[in-house]
Amino acid sequence: MALIEVTNLVKDYKISVKKKGLLGAVSSLFIPEYTYKRAVDAIDFAIDSGEAVGFIGPNGAGKSTTVKMLTGILVPTAGAIRVSGLCPYKDRKKNAANIGVVFGQRTQLWWDLPASDTFDLLKYIYKIPDDVYRRNMELFNDLLGLQDFFATPVRQLSLGQRMRADIAASLVHDPNIVLFDEPTIGLDVIAKENIREFINYINKEKDTTILFTTHDMVDIEKTCRRMLIIDKGVIIYDGSVAEIKHRFGKTRTLVVEFSEKYSSIHLPPGVEVVNEQEHKKWLRFSKDEVQVSNLIAKLTQDYNIIDLTVQEPEIEGIIREIYQKGIDFDKENEKQLSGIEVASGLSTD
Amino acid sequence: MEKHNILELIQLFFKYAKIGVKTTLEYKFDRIFITIAIFCREMISITIMYLILLRFVRIKGWELNEMLFLYSFLFLSYSLFVFLFTGIRDFEDMVYWGQFDRILLRPVGLMFQIVASRVDFPATLGHGIVGIILFINTAFSVGIDWNLQNTAYFISALIGGAIIQASIFMVSSCFSFWAIKTMNLRNMIFFNARRFAGYPISFYPSFIQKLLVYIIPFAFVNYFPAQYFLRKPDLAGFWNGYLYLTPLVGAALFTLVYLFWKKGLKHYVSTGNSMY
Repeated sequence: MALIEVTNLVKDYKISVKKKGLLGAVSSLFIPEYTYKRAVDAIDFAIDSGEAVGFIGPNGAGKSTTVKMLTGILVPTAGAIRVSGLCPYKDRKKNAANIGVVFGQRTQLWWDLPASDTFDLLKYIYKIPDDVYRRNMELFNDLLGLQDFFATPVRQLSLGQRMRADIAASLVHDPNIVLFDEPTIGLDVIAKENIREFINYINKEKDTTILFTTHDMVDIEKTCRRMLIIDKGVIIYDGSVAEIKHRFGKTRTLVVEFSEKYSSIHLPPGVEVVNEQEHKKWLRFSKDEVQVSNLIAKLTQDYNIIDLTVQEPEIEGIIREIYQKGIDFDKENEKQLSGIEVASGLSTD
Repeated sequence: MEKHNILELIQLFFKYAKIGVKTTLEYKFDRIFITIAIFCREMISITIMYLILLRFVRIKGWELNEMLFLYSFLFLSYSLFVFLFTGIRDFEDMVYWGQFDRILLRPVGLMFQIVASRVDFPATLGHGIVGIILFINTAFSVGIDWNLQNTAYFISALIGGAIIQASIFMVSSCFSFWAIKTMNLRNMIFFNARRFAGYPISFYPSFIQKLLVYIIPFAFVNYFPAQYFLRKPDLAGFWNGYLYLTPLVGAALFTLVYLFWKKGLKHYVSTGNSMY
């Protein structure tokens, strides 16, 4: 049996309808109206013990809602969740002892006190034996450099330091599952790298199961072998990271600003115009088929160019692409998408 | 992980208390000034009441000292309430800032964490000192024999009164599960009821008396406990058993509200992801 099992999970939010104008505001005070917004729409997935799974999707796709249901913070509208065989919101305390949760946006440390005070409290909250506590603190000192800022009030820490302390605080009780909800948000490259290495370490050495939510594709590449992509509450991809990278990581977009407005331009084969705005054009191609230096050379030869930028695919773009290709999937080339599971709800949208 | 036993819970409670004290000490001056401000605010209202009452001397057979003794219950029990249940008072705030999410993620009882995780020392001291001043100046001049039985009654009445006030606050915190803010409504109801309770409730028309006995039972916080000691003639209008009911009313009310709270918990919408 898988460690985390999610079947047909649904979460609806009840939202009060705000009417326009003063009259509307007054009327909704007395006769409130509600609509239901489906944040998570019948998703299924299973995660085995020891896996590291990336969980990505655009803002408002349902990532945090799913994570919060796994932790027992939110009660699902329908469907079932099993985490180590427990139902998170019914067996809240038992589940809480097994899992660690890191919210990148919100700290669990006492804001006005040094991190050491929080750890001291956590030791008693999770009833951590002395030897385990000492061993874990040594590990955190080695890998996260905790001792450098352990005595400084949390409010004075840099974001990177605070995040390291927060991650350590979520792991001090040796949970067998850790849910990371955007732990690298707002961090610089070095701090991100440090956290990725640490996540790799606990996954490989301590065999901790990891679900890693992020907006940064590099985070996923460096830590996870498998990923889930969620959009509009539906899981649209569940498979290996390598496959996604192979298929979608190769597109590049060249943004060209011309000195004047050309209605049409000559392009080598494999390059298409995806967007136009005044003097600017967005040209998309695969880096395997077209060499960017050749393309630029050709463009500068034929046209007056003011500015050039090369963009790598972002998660939003990849998702859009998966979404569109998923629709083509039925009609045209089945070969192209073999290996990618496309959720059934997709083609109806 | 095994469940915490009672000893471990007590130990954990003191760990939380230590953090509460440390946090308060981080802002010593600020907290001292708040304490003084609360103390002055309450003392001024008492001074004004005192000056007004001086002119009337007796209302329905109540002496000035007895009135102030009645008042001391309000302050002492409120101080105790804030000392023990700041978390319940501030629950709406915890939900609003997402701290309740973290409470849900810890393998300890929710009510325990809410109660243990916050102490408002300035309010405890500000109201407490006022209460003690009133008590010391009145308790020995209104003819009370402070034997063991009376002392025990007094302490249980204070604890009962604190729990009654905690329950009133908790009713409002239940609504935050549905993302409805009721803090201002609650403050309006609570503090106005408390103002009524500053005087013997027999002063008021029967509608307000019923309100303070059955709906917002402030009468059990100070009027009935004070009457247990003073036995003023206006007690004739009420059932004698009320004198002994304060702890019971507290326990019953708290249980009732707690069940409602548990029910509301299922509808909890965490902050930051409800999207609108």
